Amino acid sequence: MADTPEDIKNAQKKYLLIGLILFIFTVVTVAVATVPWLDFGEHGFDGIDAVIGLLIASVKATLVGAIFMHLNHEKRTIYGLIVLGVLMGLCLVVLTGWAFIDPIEYGSPVEGDGFYNPPETVNQ
Amino acid sequence: MEIPYTVTARKDTGLFNSKVGIWLFLASEVMLFGGLFSGYVFLRIYSDYPWPERALPIVPGLINTFVLIGSSVTVVFAWASLKMRQWRRFQIFMGITIACAGMFMVLKGIEYKAKWGHQAVRMDDFTIVEGHTHYGAIMSNGEVQHFQKKDKAKEAAKKDAEAYNKEAEARAKAAAQTKGEDFAGLPDDQKWQAGDYFKANTLLFQPDTVEFSLARAHRNWVNDLVAQAEKRQSSFVTGKDIFIYGDIEDYSGSAEKPKSNDERGREEAKLIKEYAAAEKMPRKLGSNSLFIPAGTPLSYSLLKEAREVYLAGRSHNSETRTAILRDNWKRVKEERPDDKYWEQAPDAQIDSASQLDEQLDEAGKVTSGSKVISIVSTLSFRMDPPQPLVIKRGWVKRPVKESDGKAELKDDTALNAGTNGRAEVAPGLLESPLALSVDAVDFRWMAQKAEEASKKPLDVIEGSWIFSDENKHAGTYRRLWKLHKKRIAHLEERLKDKYGTDEEGNPKRVPTETERYRMGWQDLVQYARVENDGQRAVPGDAAFDDLRPKFYHGFAGPNHKDEEIHKLHAFPELEIPHEKVSLESMFTPKWNTYYAIYFTLTGLHGLHVIGGAIVLAYYLFCSKGLYRRNPEWLANRVEVGGLFWHFVDLVWIFLFPILYLM
Repeated sequence: MADTPEDIKNAQKKYLLIGLILFIFTVVTVAVATVPWLDFGEHGFDGIDAVIGLLIASVKATLVGAIFMHLNHEKRTIYGLIVLGVLMGLCLVVLTGWAFIDPIEYGSPVEGDGFYNPPETVNQ
Repeated sequence: MEIPYTVTARKDTGLFNSKVGIWLFLASEVMLFGGLFSGYVFLRIYSDYPWPERALPIVPGLINTFVLIGSSVTVVFAWASLKMRQWRRFQIFMGITIACAGMFMVLKGIEYKAKWGHQAVRMDDFTIVEGHTHYGAIMSNGEVQHFQKKDKAKEAAKKDAEAYNKEAEARAKAAAQTKGEDFAGLPDDQKWQAGDYFKANTLLFQPDTVEFSLARAHRNWVNDLVAQAEKRQSSFVTGKDIFIYGDIEDYSGSAEKPKSNDERGREEAKLIKEYAAAEKMPRKLGSNSLFIPAGTPLSYSLLKEAREVYLAGRSHNSETRTAILRDNWKRVKEERPDDKYWEQAPDAQIDSASQLDEQLDEAGKVTSGSKVISIVSTLSFRMDPPQPLVIKRGWVKRPVKESDGKAELKDDTALNAGTNGRAEVAPGLLESPLALSVDAVDFRWMAQKAEEASKKPLDVIEGSWIFSDENKHAGTYRRLWKLHKKRIAHLEERLKDKYGTDEEGNPKRVPTETERYRMGWQDLVQYARVENDGQRAVPGDAAFDDLRPKFYHGFAGPNHKDEEIHKLHAFPELEIPHEKVSLESMFTPKWNTYYAIYFTLTGLHGLHVIGGAIVLAYYLFCSKGLYRRNPEWLANRVEVGGLFWHFVDLVWIFLFPILYLM
């Protein structure tokens, strides 16, 4: 038992505070996306907006993970399992990306046009 | 036996069992959702059509985010209460968590329903139109009427049926009276059935004959056509006697007693005469042949019976052909044992078609067991009398044109229009425009195609069908587009003034493609309000901007039933001729990969919410015993259940901005 009842009693205030912070960050995410004067980079949605949105989401995720899921004082086995899972997930992403940068299929300045060509006209 | 380490930690890992288990599981879930998120990324980056940006209404997603975050907090408090042995408090917090899960699914359900009910159409010039489809009803005299609301269509069909039945009853009563008989009321099969309405994204086809493929006819479609015909007091019946041979023994006799062609023909004629004279029922003949007299009504069971016979005949034919081939090869290998097979081939007569006619032995007598039989693979039925049938576009193999005179369904069913004498009653494809109330017009794909072809997007857009005189509502759309162009021109100016230009003189910020080429429902409402106001507000006035609905209006999407929208006629009508429709769909995975990945991600996440809620409900309702025996074990189990719940919340924390805000 990592947490004694006393620790937990003291931690409850912390949980409430984190919950409130999460709510605030949610409002911030929506504000950044909808309020015009908070629109960074190009007008409308562009790369920087994606980065900001994902950054805020990552901060929220870190808070949930560290405090609600007790990852801030977890054992090494668990850290190992998480890292393994994330690594495997990244492998999936890399594999997919690798397929999409295939010059034979999608073309490149060196190889020329790939043999994948989206249809010109689409009919049902 | 006591399970070890449910409460005490293991010495090597410092963890109790379920913690290791749940983190292993969560690691696999990270891979699952990570894979799907990366799927989203790749689908968006490499999409060959304009990706719907901010297509989803934000408010339900936002409320769901608050709900899930709140439930995360309460599940932690529930665990904390257990650790402090406060049972009542645990129950309360767990109950709130499960209630939050329920609310999440309810909101999700509302969102999904709004999407499944929203129509999207892509025209052949790549104009995309979105809105709510109208409903049609076929009256008893064959006339088709269109209505905006489903209830109105239903009502009209009902009223028409009642009027027809009343009249029919009066006529029957009068006829009975002249004969001096008692009138017992109109029998059910002479009554017109009401409630026959359809969505105006379907085709109307009035066939003369319908041909079903025995191998492929789809049960649901056959039953649907039969039911439709019944409703309109019509039926499908066979036009002539049909004889389907299923078994070679019937056809050419046995090895001991083979039959010749003439003999077969005589027997067939005799059988047909015999059965035609007798009952009018389909009748199995011999071991596996089938006789269907003229006038037999269509039913799926009939097609199924005929299919069995057809498949028996077809497999006999393939076995026969294989046997002939095998014999030929055997013979050739015996004659030329030292040659390679490609040298033997010319002698092997592998074209068995030449040997499928009457097989004769040396004595010139017919042998049996070496013949293929002619098989019937389709059954043709006449529609008597021809009536309009509602055919879903998704059933049809390829776009149907009036001049085709034929509609082929994807199960190879062929609906044929009448020829010459019957063309008037059975004209084939009827006028089937796709009628809808439009709440968005999207020219982005058309603009993209124009740019690819090095043409000016605006020119191509303004030459499209929706603004042409062929569209009888073109005036409304031209007016809306004019105002839209003014608004975007002003937006462009404002951005240029505010952010300036770069060294080459290009403005640093420009309106997005979505703003330029898509008129969404907010635009249509704003422009309708401006017009209603007498065009007093112009782009540039604060008043003009104020008339635009805010992002929190329209809870789960544009509300066609909203009073103001209805009064202002903000959502105009449109009737798209059938040939101009390239793809029509609701907002479902059929429409595009955006909705495919949206439903995959949120659907899988929703299933996780349901699963997690079930587990937490189990802890809430069924764990009092365990709490009394071993409260620490229960606390550990609740902690682990809570970990899963936090993970579900984490996934949503990423899903919300990615799907709703980007």
